[in-house]
Amino acid sequence: MSSQGQVSFRNIVKMHGEFAALKGVNFDIKPGEFFALLGPSGSGKSTTLRILAGLDAPTAGRVLIDDKDVTSTDARDRDIAMVFQSYALYPHMTVAENIAFPLEMAKLPKSEIAPTVKEAARKVKIDHLLDRKPGQLSGGQQQRCALARAIVRKARLFLLDEPLSNLDAKLRLETRAELKKLQRSLGITAVYVTHDQEEAMTLADRMAVFMSGEIQQVGTPAEVFARPNSIDIAGFIGNPPMNLVPARYVDGDVIIAGHRLKTTATTAGERDVVVGLRPGALRMTEGGLGARVDLIEDLGDTAVLDLDCAGTMIRMRVADGNIPGEGDTISITARPQDIHLFDPATRMRL
Amino acid sequence: MTAKRLRIFALLAISMMFLLAWAFPIIWSVLNSLKTDSDVLAYPPKLVFAPTLEAYRDVLFGSGSILPNLLSSVIISVGTTIVTMLMAVPAAYALARLRFRGKKFAGFYVLATQMLPPVGIIIPYFLVLRNIGWIDTYQGIILIYLSFSLPFAIWLLVSYFEDIPFEMEEAAYLDGASRLKTLWRIIIPQVRGGIAVTVVFVFLNAWNEFLFAVVLSGNTVRPVTVAMFNFVSVEQTLWAKLAAVSVLAMLPVVVLGVVAQKHIVKGLTVGAVKGGGRR
Repeated sequence: MSSQGQVSFRNIVKMHGEFAALKGVNFDIKPGEFFALLGPSGSGKSTTLRILAGLDAPTAGRVLIDDKDVTSTDARDRDIAMVFQSYALYPHMTVAENIAFPLEMAKLPKSEIAPTVKEAARKVKIDHLLDRKPGQLSGGQQQRCALARAIVRKARLFLLDEPLSNLDAKLRLETRAELKKLQRSLGITAVYVTHDQEEAMTLADRMAVFMSGEIQQVGTPAEVFARPNSIDIAGFIGNPPMNLVPARYVDGDVIIAGHRLKTTATTAGERDVVVGLRPGALRMTEGGLGARVDLIEDLGDTAVLDLDCAGTMIRMRVADGNIPGEGDTISITARPQDIHLFDPATRMRL
Repeated sequence: MTAKRLRIFALLAISMMFLLAWAFPIIWSVLNSLKTDSDVLAYPPKLVFAPTLEAYRDVLFGSGSILPNLLSSVIISVGTTIVTMLMAVPAAYALARLRFRGKKFAGFYVLATQMLPPVGIIIPYFLVLRNIGWIDTYQGIILIYLSFSLPFAIWLLVSYFEDIPFEMEEAAYLDGASRLKTLWRIIIPQVRGGIAVTVVFVFLNAWNEFLFAVVLSGNTVRPVTVAMFNFVSVEQTLWAKLAAVSVLAMLPVVVLGVVAQKHIVKGLTVGAVKGGGRR
């Protein structure tokens, strides 16, 4: 089962007139993997998914599924199931008819369709709604119906285009957890498009981070979080995102607002850098970088402080019970291994 | 409270006036069709009279029976409607969905044909039909009606097709459906309101058409609109029979309207609330 569903993108380019939506995209997805395409809107992640589904043709490059070139194969011959952002349920059909549609198209005998539909509906807990029309369902139920329609046929690939974005916050968290369990239990390769870094971090086995038509990093969520490849990724991943502060690098140290911090770098010399500091990696200390507390956002178990370090804004996350008052002056530092260095010109990691 | 009641009363009065203006000719026709010819011509008009079905008996089973003409009208209208819909549905779908060279021009051309005054093209149509020997034939008159109903039907249907989100179709392709199957199973069921509206309009236009029918046919093919004219002659007008034929000719249209009413109302409100009409 899990030998199916391997995907490779080879130098995929997509032009919309003069505009390059994708500028040569390469990645590989392993069978059974939950793979997220993450990026801000307009970064090319949805275009990538549509090309994989066969709904759009690439301008150049090749798409391989299970080592077979499918670049010019019709969408309906690719054996791919997809959940659309709008769900795209067929409004004139009942839930049961919606779920049965892919099976009918696959010419499954009638006697097998009914139990298969029932089973898929049971997996997403809508087996009591089979006789309803989509218009009579709540948003969450419609979403489940779309899921059931996608999993009813044992397709080799399962594509999801921002499937949770139309749900309210509470339902989104619940469904997110169920989605992950469902994918695990089916053992099917899933490709998941989202602009929500938290969704990608929690769901994906690996993810590709898109920035303006290019993949800037592929890796596990932990890898991308720990070692972001570029300033753009660093500023995109994490909540609140990484502080990115212009600074001066001198012989292994960085100088921020007149204060010297040790880094893990050992190269001699002097240059301009952008220093990345995770809000959670900063700690209070004696004799560190002086900062005035401008604003406190209390999140309950933690708080986010907006700090003014001699004109440079830095955000810091502190644990409950350790919160200074607004207007207090504190002193902060970071361990060398928590200091990320980026080149301000190329915007890449140093 | 009284102001509100007054407003309702005023609204009611205005509505009644409009209703009367619309309904008067029909009521008058129905009344006249039940009178004898002498009662019709009585002055002042008789509101109390002995109703008779004589006029109906005459026009249906008399020497100048209009039954063959009603049949002609049915053949022409049904034929026009069927051929129109068979061609308009795929054409409208193509105009709404596919990207092809000259699409904009095609759309404009479709609309432009609606702007021509019919009288202006009646002579060319006559010449064309005479040259191919289709004067006074069913295929000839249906062909001419198509030239008007087809652009109209396409133009009407395109907006219904455009209302259906692309993703719906893409979902069907990924579910393994071909384009034709998608059109048949997913798209058409969702535009059935629009199709009902179009069918009614096309049928109505063909049924009521007089000008082309009287010039391009008239002997072997003589729809009821043309036959009705026989009751108007130089010496006299047979008002009771004319009224009876009018009422008979109205019936199929009324029946069609009642049957399709639900769809028509639904179809006309599509777009008022986003997605509200179809879901």
